[in-house]
Amino acid sequence: MKNRVIGWIDQRFPLSSFVKHDLTEYPTPRNLSYWWNFGFLAGFVLVLQVATGIFLAMHYRADASLSFDSVQHIMRDVNYGWLLRFMHATGASAFFMVIYIHMARTLYYGSYRAPRELMWWTGQGLLLMLMATAFMGYLLPWGQMSYWGATVITNLFKVTPYFGDQIVTWLRGDYSVSDATLTRFFSLHYLLPFLIIGGVVVHLVALHTVKSSNPSGIDLAARDNIPFHPYFTSKDLFGLGIFLIVYCIFVFFFPNMLMDPANFIPANPMQTPAEIVPEWYFLPFYAILRSVPNMVGGVVAMGLSVMMFAFMPFLDRSRIPGGASNRPMVKLGFYLFIINMLVLGYVGAHPVSERTLLIGHIATIFYFGSFFLIPFISKAEERWLIKRGLSPELKELMEREAREKTQSQARRRSGDTK
Amino acid sequence: MKKFIVLLILCCASSQVWPEEATLQNIKVDTDLPAIERGMDDLMNNCHACHSLKYISYLDLLKLGIDKKKVDFMRGDQPLAAPLTGMLSDEAAMQMFGLVPPDLSLMTKAREGGPSYVYSYLLGYYNTPDGVTHNRIFPATKMPDPLGISTATDPAKREELKKTAHDIVSFLAWASDPHSAERHRLGYYVIGYLLFLTALLYAVKNRIWAGLKKH
Repeated sequence: MKNRVIGWIDQRFPLSSFVKHDLTEYPTPRNLSYWWNFGFLAGFVLVLQVATGIFLAMHYRADASLSFDSVQHIMRDVNYGWLLRFMHATGASAFFMVIYIHMARTLYYGSYRAPRELMWWTGQGLLLMLMATAFMGYLLPWGQMSYWGATVITNLFKVTPYFGDQIVTWLRGDYSVSDATLTRFFSLHYLLPFLIIGGVVVHLVALHTVKSSNPSGIDLAARDNIPFHPYFTSKDLFGLGIFLIVYCIFVFFFPNMLMDPANFIPANPMQTPAEIVPEWYFLPFYAILRSVPNMVGGVVAMGLSVMMFAFMPFLDRSRIPGGASNRPMVKLGFYLFIINMLVLGYVGAHPVSERTLLIGHIATIFYFGSFFLIPFISKAEERWLIKRGLSPELKELMEREAREKTQSQARRRSGDTK
Repeated sequence: MKKFIVLLILCCASSQVWPEEATLQNIKVDTDLPAIERGMDDLMNNCHACHSLKYISYLDLLKLGIDKKKVDFMRGDQPLAAPLTGMLSDEAAMQMFGLVPPDLSLMTKAREGGPSYVYSYLLGYYNTPDGVTHNRIFPATKMPDPLGISTATDPAKREELKKTAHDIVSFLAWASDPHSAERHRLGYYVIGYLLFLTALLYAVKNRIWAGLKKH
């Protein structure tokens, strides 16, 4: 019976071949470390955010006079509304944490390099959409920080040449952040996650074409690949368990930790909070914005700071395969970059003072400098490593990869498409 | 893993902008019903004349475990679902203080330092030599010293006021997040379940991968 049903479906839809190609026979490098769990986790958090968000939207009111109260209604009166809301709010932070680790892994192991550039760029697009979704979602509770955060960020579009003021008004739907802004942000906050899901499908189709990278940085031979299911389904589920423990500790015991006190005060257009601070996941970019003395320059620098990652496949000029595991300079640069990000985060979280301004300047210069220097450093590193002599292991892997490349080219020339 | 921990520490540390105006006396609020009930009584006597708690209804007090007779006495002829609105009209408040006293439902969450801020603020009143009352935590406050800490000189009286302030803050902390006790209770079960599940998943993963290592 089961076979007949599947047979019936297979004649009309590629079910069995899909399961085979993308699950039970999908070749995955056996040496993947736990750092490769975060793509799956990002997908999980996306589903979690959509699921909790849909239920929150059933009780939330997108109306400047009702929003704040409706959030309290969810927190107090709706059955397990507090759980939904804390899961969603904590989920936003969890999403960025998972995505940043996912990106850090890609940078560390050089996973963005050929042939995975499209994966990296679709990921970059997904990051931008995630940031937009998070930013618009933050307006919805209609607290003081919601209101003033949205005011500051929409105001940045003033720097657009010729149409600056018109664009700001167009984005807000009013001359200042108001009810019109709230309703459109709510609508878009509901729309964007579904565009993200579409983007994730593209990201996954690209992945299943080029396959996963792995810690060695070399495409492994067929014998080193194992099927995704059951090996990586079991590994991903175990990783999910660990993630859920950390996530639930925050949801149940420290849900207010990442919430700004000012956002427990209803939005008041007449009163600016003492300090306007974005959520932690925007702090490094916010620090870059504030570190450039000129507003146009600051906005351009901030936009560029997010987009710099997209240039990585062009900036990395080395012929040595992979990332930090084969390349000491990449490793050093990676850790310095992470430390610099933390410094920028610190600067973004603190009020402007002479000290934070100075640290901010240095960290911003270092941030862009590290990208601009990559072509030169990667070339110099390549020369140095070849001169020093590559490890026999790496040599063997590289030779094998080269051999396979010529073989596949030969096959292609002879007309064998397999 | 190291990176993750560092990032985690950062995200915890970065959201805290420490209050810089005055040092707060750090307290831990009480979560037991007697303390919260004492706090409610003190709040009704000292604060409720001007301040509302619009997100708390008499029904919430019942659910908390306050005696029904007491709640009925408090609400008079108001329905059970009525919120604890202040007794002072906005117009009268504007005339007396030049502003409407803030609603207290979320007060312990709406200030840097949370309960410690409110506690330190309530006890932060002092008299200058020329007889003017100030508050060291919030110098621009319009609220007159509600507990009378600025004039209390007797150490026993001061201790009593500290206890009163502590109870009031405990009640406010409950009011800002009435489900927090339920949340913690549920949290232990959830984490316990997840630990068990994750251990099982780890065993499953090892079992599946064990076959692979032989090759």
